[in-house]
This record gives sequence, C-alpha cells and structure tokens, in this order.
Amino acid sequence: MESVWFHVDMDAFYASVEQLDNPSYRGKPVVVGGLGNRGVVSACSYEARTYGVHSALPMYRARQLCPHAIFVTPRIERYSEASHQVVSLLKEFSPTVQQISIDEAFLDMTGTERLYGKPRQAATLLKNRVKNEIGLTTSVGIGTSRFIAKMASGYDKPDGLCRISKGNEERFIDTIGLKKLFGIGEATLAILNRHSITTPAQVREFSLEHLQALLGESGGLYLYHACRGIDPGIYTGVTKSRSISTENTFANDIDNEKELLQQLLMMSHEVMFRALQENLSSSTVAIKVRFSDFTTVSAQKGLDHNLYSGEQIYEVAQELLKSRWRDSQKVRLLGVGLYGVSDQGPPVQQELFEDPYKRKGELEKAVLSLRSKGRNIQKASLLEEND
Amino acid sequence: MKFACHKSSILKEIVLALDFTSQRNALSVVSNVYLETKDNLLYIKATDQNVGLKSVIPVETIEEGATTVFCDKFLGILRSLPEETIVFEEVHDKLFIQVENKAISFELRTISVDKYPTLEESDELEFFALSQKDLLAMIDQTIFAISDDETRHFMTGVYLEQDGNQLVMVGTDGKRLSFIGRKFEKQLPEFKPIIIPAKFLSLLKKGGTQEGEVELSITDSIIFARLGDQVMYSSLIKGTFPSYKRVIPASQSFECKVEIGPMNEALKRVSLLVENKAKRIYIDLEEGLLTISSEESDFGQAKEVIACDYSGDAMRLAMNYTFLVSPLRVMEGEQLSLSFTDANRAVTLRPEPQRDYFHIIMPMQKE
Repeated sequence: MESVWFHVDMDAFYASVEQLDNPSYRGKPVVVGGLGNRGVVSACSYEARTYGVHSALPMYRARQLCPHAIFVTPRIERYSEASHQVVSLLKEFSPTVQQISIDEAFLDMTGTERLYGKPRQAATLLKNRVKNEIGLTTSVGIGTSRFIAKMASGYDKPDGLCRISKGNEERFIDTIGLKKLFGIGEATLAILNRHSITTPAQVREFSLEHLQALLGESGGLYLYHACRGIDPGIYTGVTKSRSISTENTFANDIDNEKELLQQLLMMSHEVMFRALQENLSSSTVAIKVRFSDFTTVSAQKGLDHNLYSGEQIYEVAQELLKSRWRDSQKVRLLGVGLYGVSDQGPPVQQELFEDPYKRKGELEKAVLSLRSKGRNIQKASLLEEND
Repeated sequence: MKFACHKSSILKEIVLALDFTSQRNALSVVSNVYLETKDNLLYIKATDQNVGLKSVIPVETIEEGATTVFCDKFLGILRSLPEETIVFEEVHDKLFIQVENKAISFELRTISVDKYPTLEESDELEFFALSQKDLLAMIDQTIFAISDDETRHFMTGVYLEQDGNQLVMVGTDGKRLSFIGRKFEKQLPEFKPIIIPAKFLSLLKKGGTQEGEVELSITDSIIFARLGDQVMYSSLIKGTFPSYKRVIPASQSFECKVEIGPMNEALKRVSLLVENKAKRIYIDLEEGLLTISSEESDFGQAKEVIACDYSGDAMRLAMNYTFLVSPLRVMEGEQLSLSFTDANRAVTLRPEPQRDYFHIIMPMQKE
C-alpha cells in the first residue's frame, strides 16, 4: 500500500489565534513576540508579512517595517489550548497523529481512503472542519513520506493544499530548490555554493562519500537523501507515544544564550500545558539540540518526583542545555520533551514542607481552567523584560 | 625529612586522612597528605578545602622536615607492608619507604609543602565536651533522613540547634524528618543553629570510638571536633533550614503499638515485591491487626499480617517502605508506636516507651 502522510501546518498560528480572539485584529497586521528591544518576532499575520515582517526578525526591525501593526506578547497557554483543540480534531482522521510542535502535526493517512476518500478529498474535509469548528486556517501537505509532506504544506501557503504523488518526489525537490529545502541551512548552502552546487539535480551527481567529505557525515547523508526525495528521517523517533515533545527549527541559527533560554522557556511551558490538558505526568525531561553542522545531540534527566510546572521543566531543560551547548555554538533546532509519560505518574509522595513547584503547578492548572472559560490571563514570566 | 615508626601506628591515621583528601584529581596537592616530623612526633594533615584533619602520633624523628605525598597510593603501600618498623625518608622530591631488615622499598613522588593549603586554625577557640556515645547516637538517629538532592542543598546536612542544656539534631529530605533532642548534664555554650554536612558526620563516626568524650567548637562557618590528638573540621552548609517545628504534629488522633522485631521482618519480606521506583507499601490497620502489603505488580504481590495494639477506625496508609525501615534499624527497645490523624497527614513513628527521638513520615497517595 502506498504510504500517505499529511503534514498539517497552522497558518501564522499565534497571530491567527490573536485574530480569532480579538475580532478587531482581523485583516490587520498582527505581530506576536517579545516586545522588549531585544525581543524577536514569534509569529505574524499574513497582513504583516506583506511589509516584510517574518518570524525570528528582531522586534525593533518589525516596528520599523510596520509601525502601525498590532504588537502583542505571546499567550502560550491560549495557543496550547487552541493547538490541543486542533490535535483532538486531527485524531478523528487518523489514529497516528504525531504532533511535532505547537502548530504542526503529521497524520499517517495510509489506508484511510475508504473512510475519507482520496487524499485530496480527505485533506479538504480536514481543512474545512478546522476552519468551521475552530476558526483557524491550515495548510496541508500530502506526500509519501513525512519529509515530502512537510515541504508540500509549505509550498502553497496560507490555506493551501498540495499533494505530491508517488514518483514525483524528485521533480518536486527540483521545483523547491536547494534554498528552500527543509533542513538546509545557510552554512550548508554556502559550502555548496563554493563548489558551484546550486540545484538538487547537481547534488545528485555527487556520490554519498563526496557529500559527506564536504558536509560531514550526517549533513552529507541528509542532503544525499533529501535531494532524492527520500525522507532523511527527520521526525522518526522524535515523538513516540509515551512522550510529549515540541521542537523548533529556527529561521536563523541562534547562538546567544539569552535567546536560546527564551525559546527553551516557551517550549517548556508548551509541553507542560499539553501534559496538563491530557492529564498526563512525567518525571523525565529531555532536550534535543541540532547544531548548524547538523550534528544532533540529546540529553535527558529523570527526577525522583513528577514535574508540576513549566518552570520546573525549564529549570531541568536549562541544566541539560548547558551540558550540551557551549557559548556561541550555532543552534538550528531546539526541542524539549517529557518522557516516560503516564496517566497517573508514579505514586505521589507527599511533601512535609510546601513544594514551591507544586503550587506553581496548581496555578497553571487554574490558569488553564480559567482560560477554558474564556478568561484572558497572561503569565508575566513569559513576558520579556523591556530593556 | 626522615622518621621511623611501626606500621600499625601510622596506618590508622592515614586510613582516616584519605577521606579528608580530594579524590578528584590525583595530581592535585589536595589529594596529598601532609607529613611533618620533629621532636619525635609526626604531624599529619589532610584537607580537600571543605573538610580538614590534623593529627599527631609519636615516631622516631631521625631528621626534621615536612613533605606531602599522594594519600591514596601512600595508604595502599602502607597496607601492603608487613607489621614491622618502617623508615620514611624524603630525598629529592621522592619519599622512600623501607622496611627495616627487609629488601622492600618504595619511592613516591612528593609535592613540596609550600604548595599545601593552610588548614583552619582552632587553637584560639573554646571547645565544649560531649560524650562520644551521645553524639554518635544523635547522628545515627538523623543522618539517614537527609536529602541527596543537590538542588536542595540545605537539606543535604543535619541541622544542629542548642536549646539550654539540650542539643537538637534534625535530618529531613522534605518527605520525612528525624528528630532527636538530647539533654546533657553540663551547661552547653550558646550557638546559632547550624547545618552540618553529612560527610563530616560520617567521618566523625569513623574517627570516633564510642568511648570517652568528643570536644566541639562551632564558629559562623566551621565546626571543629577534637578526638584525642585529632582535630577535624568542616565548613558548614549555608542556607536556611526549613522551619521543621511546624511540620511536627502536636497530637495525633490514633495510635498503634507494635513489636519492632516482627514489624521489621514483615517489612523486609513484603519489600521484596514492592515496585522499585515508588517503593510504596500499604499499611492496613484494624482492631488488633496490622497488615503490610505491596501493591499488585507485574511480578506479583506480598502481604503479611502481624498483631498490634490498635483500637481506632479501620485505616489504610500508603508509605515509602524505606522511610519505615531506616528508622527501625536504629530504634532501641522492643516496641514502637505509629500514630496518625488521617491518611493524608504526617505520621509519627517513635519507640514505645517514648525516648528522646522520633520520626515524622509523610504518606504517599493511596491511588
């Protein structure tokens, strides 16, 4: 049977949620991100993109490019909640839903034709339901692997639908070009350019050994497969059923600690909220770091107690990051996950003295329940300081 | 430097000294033991910069001088030598170790004493004496309850507080707490409460003999202990100890009395089938009977019923079994008392009849 993967990508997710919650924002440029001088854009609406604003842009640049935009600080709790709604809906379409970040998920749609019709029909149905029931638009990419599906969803955005059928993968890669090939960073491009390699077709003329000599073992292998439309295995083994994780590939590599920690904090809160929503608990935190040369390292730490709050996860994740990352190393991808997730967690040992984290956990739960009643609550620790 | 002494007299000191040296880096001077001889005495010093030891033993000084050698290897060599008189001599950055009338010789590289850190001085300080037996008993009753979680640094030591002629020691990891308040006949000097690192307390136990007295002196940042000719010290743990008095229940509604021996045996047996991570057991109480059981796991289940003196409501408590086993190991007498108010609140464990120590244990969730 031919494999069918959907990659569902929420369009301008944070900004779209803001527009959904605040009707007055609709049709206007909305920029979400840290509002301090050193903040960066986390997301922006398509209206803002026409002014040249994009994610990972320094906030001061966004203000210069589009001074009349509506600037808002991220409300991760609210986005997590919307994300959860979307994922619950996606789970109706496929038993295998692999959420890879707050606004993206893969669906294994192999063999669902008799239920939902041809892949394109199924995708249209899915898009309409997300639009009508949740109020958000999505772009869906369909491919024979996650890698192809992922790039297909980005090909036709926003509100897009793009299917690459079996046999057309290589041609699709050629259309995309090296520059937009997922997982190819500036450093790789620069090396290839120096050897006058500018298209996937040219890459295919080189042997694996040659590419590896050029780009290192993992980088070479990745490119070798990617240019042939073969999934280099980017998402395999990242999210197994008993874990909750999120990861983020940065538009530009990050090499400063403050920005990495900011990302880590946001992701820590995101995984905590997902765990709370699903009533799951865990005592193991893991991080994943991919450097600009594609080497990928991970680290995890198990604690003797369950994790109650995003800040607690952040504290462990921060320690793990410091064990794997040296100052000024360029990071292209960062991920945070909870492992060994279970419905109840190990039997909870009660504390004699008040555990500060437990109270924070309860606070987060309370925030979550207020949010689900439609109240607007913002956590101050997620605001960047104004400097 | 040159001196001679019998193997047994120096070996004992070097065994203790090793624990005071740094084990991290063999080439560092703090991994070395300091040896100095004059007037037929050998002065021994060791420190890892947190804890320190000074000791003196009689030897035959042949030539005055001082040096330092890698303690770990020095001890290994001493252990291997026959029970004879040994001659130690430093010549050109090397310590030669020879046994009289035997063709055994070792040479160990030395590091000059001027690189050796200065140890904390206690000569000017006032010491107060306690019976070794009392102090070591207090350590035994509390040291097992402390935390090994470095993120809760202030719980990785035992709290010591002076209250009139009583000394209070408390150990806690935040989930259980052990308390002992021992009264002394002599007046104790006043000092502010301190947190003593666990390592120092176990070194004190190792150096102690259970007989005679130990003298203590406490400053803002250091505790000194004098045992005969040895002075050992440790820097104290900085931080605020949790207000432990608040979590000690003033009274409990129910009490169960049970023989220590059978309880210990039952815990040992049931624990064989307790899940390793959570270590949870159930204690079910009903009139005259105490049932200890493990929860059903992939391996199976264990259960044991023992007689007890209880007449309250039927009650189920869930607990980490190690929180019961470790205090029982050091509990004196025949009987213990387990008292509680409800299944979610702190349980008090103490010997029956009452002594000057008890243990507070937080239960686990039952489901």
